[in-house]
Amino acid sequence: MKRFLKRFKICLLILGVLAAFYFILTGIHSLTGSMRNGERQNTECTTKERVFDQADVLSDEEEEKLRKLIAKREKQTGCDIVLVTLDESLRDYAYERQDYAATEKYVMIYADDFYDEHLFGYDKPKGNGVLFLDNLYREDDGYAYSWFCTTGKAEEKYTNAMIDHLLEKSYRWSKISPYHGYKACINQFYHDMNGFGLISINFSVPILLAVSLVMAVLFVVTNTGSEAGGKTTSANTYVKGGKVKMNHREDRFIRKNVVQHRIQTNSGGGGRSGGGGHHVSSGGVSHGGGGHRH
Amino acid sequence: MIYKCKNCGGNVVYHPDKKMMYCPHCDGTDSEEEVKSSVVTECASCGAPMELSSYTSACKCEHCGSYTIVEERVGGEFAPHLIMPFKISREGAVKLLEKEFQNRFFTPATFLSAATLEGMEGIYVPFFLYDYLATFDYAGTGTKVRSWRSGNTEYVETSYFRVERNMDIDFDKIPVDASINMDDQKMDLLEPFDGKALEAFQKKYMSGFQAERYSEGLMELEPRAQEKARRDSEELLRESLSGYTTLRADRKHLNLQRQTANYALLPVWVYYYNYHGQRYTYYINGQSGKILGKTPISKGKMFAYGGGLWAFLFTMMLLVKMILEVL
Repeated sequence: MKRFLKRFKICLLILGVLAAFYFILTGIHSLTGSMRNGERQNTECTTKERVFDQADVLSDEEEEKLRKLIAKREKQTGCDIVLVTLDESLRDYAYERQDYAATEKYVMIYADDFYDEHLFGYDKPKGNGVLFLDNLYREDDGYAYSWFCTTGKAEEKYTNAMIDHLLEKSYRWSKISPYHGYKACINQFYHDMNGFGLISINFSVPILLAVSLVMAVLFVVTNTGSEAGGKTTSANTYVKGGKVKMNHREDRFIRKNVVQHRIQTNSGGGGRSGGGGHHVSSGGVSHGGGGHRH
Repeated sequence: MIYKCKNCGGNVVYHPDKKMMYCPHCDGTDSEEEVKSSVVTECASCGAPMELSSYTSACKCEHCGSYTIVEERVGGEFAPHLIMPFKISREGAVKLLEKEFQNRFFTPATFLSAATLEGMEGIYVPFFLYDYLATFDYAGTGTKVRSWRSGNTEYVETSYFRVERNMDIDFDKIPVDASINMDDQKMDLLEPFDGKALEAFQKKYMSGFQAERYSEGLMELEPRAQEKARRDSEELLRESLSGYTTLRADRKHLNLQRQTANYALLPVWVYYYNYHGQRYTYYINGQSGKILGKTPISKGKMFAYGGGLWAFLFTMMLLVKMILEVL
């Protein structure tokens, strides 16, 4: 037992350092977040509400908890945080405003307008903030869409990869309950705004469990199979003096031939394509954002 | 026969560390005298009956622990020419096993415990040592290829050579074990035994150890020795032919001529370890200290370490993931 603990000492030390690092980081976020951002400046906003649970997926208690969390995170990020749930088709809504809209953009149009119309923004109307729209309704293509709309400094901070990461994380937590999904989304937003914008690899807990299991099994296998004693003789082990007696040795050059051929080279290459999620809403406000479908 | 101490009457044995005859009862050295037994199957010390297998030439009495040497089996046609005395003592062998296996993760706690070490025995294993003069004659064509680029053109140049080799290889004491009780493959893996440590046969080196007479004959085993000589010769020829991209032989002939062959006893420690129905066998070269054997496995330790590592890796990855998320 003593030897066992001794061998795992270094492991426990690593875990301790990592845990300490994590708590220091979150501590710094909380400290810098509340220090950097002053009071909310926007006085024109039409509502004080942040949780618009129109699909009624949250209990009153959950809504209240989310409101509290949002109030705290708004101060720490300097951004308005709005949560909207829906359970209705946004097709007609989108087509009323645009001649054509792809199915996945219905949620974007709705989210942008919702943000603009209520004049959300921490620093000014239509200023810094985000809106998470979760529509449970399955559109004609059979998918339910959600959208994370970013404005102002949130738009500047967020890359597509970061939005993907946030939505993916939120979706994974929502498997426990919608409340957990929204909570994860708000917290991740807080960390993203105060962090360096690095995104974690999207490995879920079962994958981590499986990967670590495979590594542990490999460790066991390599430590059970080892056998002492391989071949330790060489060709000259039993040769007197270790050397052969060379009576005759000849390496005589006879002839050579040279073959030549042209090398085919290919020129050109691939390009990068892609685009950001930046666009201007019907209200003339620049928004960023990204969506997922499930 | 048995070696008895002139001073105390105890059993005198050969001590590998002291490199002399030693009486463990009175600490006397070189105090031995030969005492013959009247009946081969009785212990020369206490007279208890001994069960000798057909090939045993030295063994330990189960009653008094004395080592008896069966003279008929080390004389006449069974007289060894050479013997390699044990260089590694019992304590030395245990230390080597400890060094090799004790620090492995799944080694059971009882491995090398005093009780199981009781059964560890030093055995003189019968070997035939063959000397050969090998002549290898080789002639063929070799090629060397080199390529280079100039602009858009690649050149490949192939040079042809006439390659000839004629060499003599003087093989000295290629060992082949002559005991049907020993696994041939394991005995081969215990090599090399250092030929310089061989001495003219003396019975006294056997005292304190078990021994066998050969149970397979010189001629019977010769094909194995020839195979070893042939394999090594081929390898030596290959080494002398390095540097060629391809080789095609026109003539390749190996002539093996046996010079002499010696019958020798070589030292091996054998340790059997039983653990939960699993039997592990360890061989230690009594001259070089080379060890053969599998890691003994305790399932309890395997699960504890495997599970512990799993928990550690998972927690570590989870923490890294959490840190990346807040970075």
